[in-house]
Amino acid sequence: MKHGAGGKWYLNAEHYSNEIVEKYRLKDFLMEQYRNFEQLPMRKVAGVDGTGLGYKLRMPLVGRLVKRLAENMLHSTRPPTNPFKAEGHIGQVVPLEDAIAILEACAVEPIIEKNCMCRMMSRGIKEACCINFGVMSEIAKELPRFVPEKDKFFLTRAQAVDRFKTHNTKGYIGTIWFGPFPYINNLCSCASPECAGIRPRLDYGVKSIYKAEYIIDFNPDKCTGCKACVAKCQFGAIEYSLSLKRVTVDMKKCWGCGVCRHGCKGKALYLQPREGVPAYKDDY
Amino acid sequence: MQKGRNKIAVDYAKCGDGHGVDPRACGICLRICVPAVFLLHQTLGVEDDPKDPRCWRVSPYWTDLCSRCLKCVEACPEKAVTVSW
Repeated sequence: MKHGAGGKWYLNAEHYSNEIVEKYRLKDFLMEQYRNFEQLPMRKVAGVDGTGLGYKLRMPLVGRLVKRLAENMLHSTRPPTNPFKAEGHIGQVVPLEDAIAILEACAVEPIIEKNCMCRMMSRGIKEACCINFGVMSEIAKELPRFVPEKDKFFLTRAQAVDRFKTHNTKGYIGTIWFGPFPYINNLCSCASPECAGIRPRLDYGVKSIYKAEYIIDFNPDKCTGCKACVAKCQFGAIEYSLSLKRVTVDMKKCWGCGVCRHGCKGKALYLQPREGVPAYKDDY
Repeated sequence: MQKGRNKIAVDYAKCGDGHGVDPRACGICLRICVPAVFLLHQTLGVEDDPKDPRCWRVSPYWTDLCSRCLKCVEACPEKAVTVSW
């Protein structure tokens, strides 16, 4: 996985191509995986299931082993073999600008928007906000529970950009996913705690998703103290300081999604490349 | 900090398999839980009609994140959820 100066892995059109699908025979694999998608968390991985993951991770020695098993599976770069495991399923947070670049330049048509599986599983609600490309679109079409009832299913590039913009300004975090490595087919708009990709990292410290290539930069002089950004941040990185009468930003907690910018009245928040900040340049 | 394990159980005789209450149509516990401890999922080994309600269940999954507020116990119309520690 290339970060920072080495280039952004998700802006490589090769990862989106249909040749990769054929090379790794991913069509049947993905069909099998998504047909039984909601079974996935219930299945055991190397004899360990995910129920009460926190207890397992807190155990001495065993906890470290469980964490390593999970990360090895998620970060796997070998050709995937078992559709019932989240092999090579690793993602990264992307801000609006990069997501638009993906949709305009990299994504393979047809582009669709399907119901979010995470929100379906953890809240029982159907909300169309997962943008899929290429072969994944054809698979989602076959599975009626992923097809939104009200919203449009097939999207043009411009419509997809529009939809993503709406989700992002609403406060959903843009994420791009390998599923499985090396095929990129998902551009999600995630929410915490529902997202099954963000939760393991946020609550358990398992690297299931990388932070963005960016990190927040804050100009305190421009802050009007409207607190709109506080409600937008899903990682608790922004707090309102009563004594300073403006917000404070915790860069340690920032994932670089850039969602907070959309609420900012004084344009005090903007993104900077993570590699340019010495303390956080390797904190992906 | 909480001590001890949270024991959360869903009575499948009342919810999902066997009773006919489709957890996909109800889902009250899913939405009332602040840390989203429950997970709606397909049961393992049942490869029938994807619309069959018996194939779907609600299970406690992220049990260690439970805040013990007992809102799910109160809210469940079937009285199927029990929480103890």
